[in-house]
This record gives sequence, C-alpha cells and structure tokens, in this order.
Amino acid sequence: MASREIGIVGLGQTKYSKKPDGTLIGYLAEAGRRALESAGMQKKDIDGLAISSFQLPPDNAVTLCDQFGLSVSWAWYFTAGGAGSLSSVLAAIQAIEAGQANAVLCIAGDLYDVNAHYKLMGNFNHALSNYAVPHGFGGPNGLFAIVTRKHMERYGTTREQLGRVCVGQRASAMLNENALLRTPMTMDDYLNARMIADPLRLYDCVLPCIGAEAVLVTALDRVPKEKRVRVLSGYERHNHPPGEIAPLEGGWALFRDRLYADAGYGPRDMQFVQSYDDYPIMVAIQLEDLGFCAKGEVGPFLARHEMAWNGSFPVNTGGGQLSCGQTGAGGGMIGLWEAVCQLRGEAGARQIPGVSRGLVAGYGMVGYGHGLGASAVILENVA
Amino acid sequence: MSAQPGYPQPYEDADNAPFLAAWRKGVLALQRCKGCSKAIYYPRPMCPHCWSADLEWFEASGKGTVVGYGVVWRPNHESFQPEVPVVLVEVQLAEGPLMLSRVVGDDREKTRSGAAVGLVAMPDAARYPLPTFRLA
Repeated sequence: MASREIGIVGLGQTKYSKKPDGTLIGYLAEAGRRALESAGMQKKDIDGLAISSFQLPPDNAVTLCDQFGLSVSWAWYFTAGGAGSLSSVLAAIQAIEAGQANAVLCIAGDLYDVNAHYKLMGNFNHALSNYAVPHGFGGPNGLFAIVTRKHMERYGTTREQLGRVCVGQRASAMLNENALLRTPMTMDDYLNARMIADPLRLYDCVLPCIGAEAVLVTALDRVPKEKRVRVLSGYERHNHPPGEIAPLEGGWALFRDRLYADAGYGPRDMQFVQSYDDYPIMVAIQLEDLGFCAKGEVGPFLARHEMAWNGSFPVNTGGGQLSCGQTGAGGGMIGLWEAVCQLRGEAGARQIPGVSRGLVAGYGMVGYGHGLGASAVILENVA
Repeated sequence: MSAQPGYPQPYEDADNAPFLAAWRKGVLALQRCKGCSKAIYYPRPMCPHCWSADLEWFEASGKGTVVGYGVVWRPNHESFQPEVPVVLVEVQLAEGPLMLSRVVGDDREKTRSGAAVGLVAMPDAARYPLPTFRLA
C-alpha cells in the first residue's frame, strides 16, 4: 500500500440552514454518504473514520461507528477547532501509509445556530470561561476586534482593504446555491453595516449555521483520474506564538517553507487560496504568513487584487464562511470541500477555468484571546 | 458586597482560588515563578515559561497600558446588554503579563491603544467578577 499515492477521492456537503432539519449525527451521516457516493465507493470500503465536531460529545468517532454500523481499524476525533479538519486529513493519510487503514472518511459539522454559538462560546475552554466570559467579551467578535484594530494601527491596514475580501467572496457566493448569504454586497454595504464590535461590523462576522462536509481519503488509483486530488504537502502548528493574547501572526509562518518545498511549488503557483475566514483579518494574516505578501503588507496586496472566483487572486471561491455560514467545526472543512470541488471541475458556475492546484488553510480553537490552531495543505489534481 | 447578579462568573479551582479571593478584596494577585522570576497571568498550575511548579502569589500594582481594544456593542451574555458598549481591552500589566480585561466608566469610549489604566477600586470593584480597569 505504501507505494500507492494517497489523496482525496470524494467530497460531500449537506444543505446549509439557519435551523436544523435533523440531528447532528444525521447531518454527519449525510455528508459522509455523499462523499462516498461522489467517489463511487461503498460502505464496505471504509475502514477508518475521522470526525471534527464541537457538539458531538458525549459521542465520538467510535460511537459514530456504532451509529453508522461501521467496523474500523482506525478512528480519530478532532482537536484544534477550525484547523482540525485539515489535521484529520493529514492524520488519515499517515494512517493509510502506515497500513492502519485503507480508506478514511473525514467528516466535519455542527448544528451551529446562533443559540448554539452563544452556548459553545460561553464554555469553550477553561481560560476563556474563567478569564474572558465574565468580562462580557462579546465572543470571538470582541477578540477579533482587538486583532483587527491592532493590525490597522500597526500596519495602516484599512477597513476598505479588508472589506475587499468580504465583497469578493460574496460575488462568488452568488454562484453557490448552498450559500446562506447570496444577495449582492457592495463596499458601501460592507462599510456601513451595523456595528458589532468596533472596528468589526456585521459583514466582518460569520453567521453560525447548520451543516456538515466530508472528504474521503484513500489510494488515488481506486477512482478515475478526474476524481483524484493529490495532497502534495500539509502541516499544522498550534499555539504559536505562545503567551500572546492578540498576535498578528499564527503558526503558518513556521511551516510555510516546508509546505512549499515539499509540494515543489511556491505561493505564485497557487491558483486559489481557500483560507479560514471567520473574520477578514484572519484571511489577511494567513495570506501574510503563507508568503503571498510580506508581513504588514496585506492591505496594499488586497487593494490591488480581486478576490472573487474569477478575480486576479481567488479566495474562498464558494463564498467561504463569511457568505455561506459557519457550520461550527465544519467551518474548518468548507475550504477543503471547495478546493476539491474546484480541482475536480465540479464547481459549476464558479468553476475557475483550467485550475490545477491551490492552497487550503485552517485556523481555529479560540483560547485566551485568539485561535490557537493553524494548518495548511497544498492540493493538485491529476488530469 | 457581592458581584452584580447576572454576570457569568469564573469557575473557582485550585489554580485560581487565591487570584479570585484577592479580587474579592479589590486586589490583583499574580503568580510569580520562583524558577525563572517571571510574573504569570492567567493563573496556572505551573510556569508556562520554564515549567517550574514552584510559584508564589504577590500583589500587583494594578497599573497597566492598553495594547489593544474592541468596543463590543453586541455582548454574548444578556447581563452586559444594559452596559454597552463593553470596552474589551488587552492590557500589558506593569509587571509584564498580558491580560484581557474591561475598561469601565463614563469615559470608557475614550480608550485608545497606549492609554494608561488602573484597577477599579473598592467598593465598585466588588461589582465585577474579575480585575477591571478605568482610564488612569
């Protein structure tokens, strides 16, 4: 097995909605079933399961095997929040290469409506519960207001520059039937939206929602060439830099050089970036840390690019979380789902012509002030 | 005096009990590592710098500088709604550590990066579950 190249052969996504139409386990099952179907494979082919979900406890990957009627030789349950779904794929590849499994279904999702968001963020981890929640911290909106303002004050980044991410993604979302926010959005709409946590306004903040995604990881030669997506490289780094509350950097910069060296490509070779977009400032910081521009120079970089699917620098080409919604832990897989969709040529009206490779980045697990987890992969199709 | 009913409260545990007890008297208590001499916030079971478990508590000055802030108009918990905006701040304490806190007072919207802040004093301090600041 070790000589066969392992990659992504299937993808699945449920309908996104503001209110649930079923159970969390039901949504995870549907995403998984769709991924299997898109690969043309069957339940009996699966012998590994990896789950990313905040709300799943007291259930976990093994109890889901019971629900799903699966016997597996490898099971994984997530850490690192929105960075975790990419971690699950990297772990699945390693498990398959090590002979512990042959085909792993990686699923991510939550029934993450607004009330579930408040409940989760009120008791997310000890440090946040004990030392931020009692201050009325405003959830991630309050924390990322600090990060955003700090970047603006230190580097001169403007709201107009950051807003180009949101406006560009919305243009892509208008071609994505599963996006919850599909009405046109202008820069004026963005700049004048309702204030949430100054300097963040409404369209800086993701809409929590219901949904799940899945990908199937196995030997690429089990499916026809047009369905194969290679994982050229991938890394994760958590809690970098340690001890800071609102840093303007994350773990990506530490593995960036290896990420590109392993893939045999550089930032300029990426034809899209699907980056974790809980807030536009985090898209901006990922672009800096992943080498698309120097630290502090993302403002002018955004100003000279168009970020829509057909723009000069396509980012989150399905609309991202900012326009589709944030399905809890599924927010860490939406970018991977979109990347696989693009690389298989299945993105429909928003298909990037002639696309062959791109980068997906994950981010998440808000601790005492900011997301602690960072991850990224570089993907390429085979055709 | 007790904290205002309705605010979410921290969970008291073995790591933070001295910190919370001190604040009930309006005092900011921090840990200092006897191994590397660094001051520590938030309360830890061991020094996050050198992993020494030999920590001591000391009374901090209560002075600090705002290094970042967000002005929250939509708090997550209803108890803060009558008090908007909540000015959430990242404060560098005079003793070194960074702290997430809140600036209160009628002039709180004048908070800027670089501003000096000082602890809210008793008896007002008893209203807040955690060390809270005013513009100095």
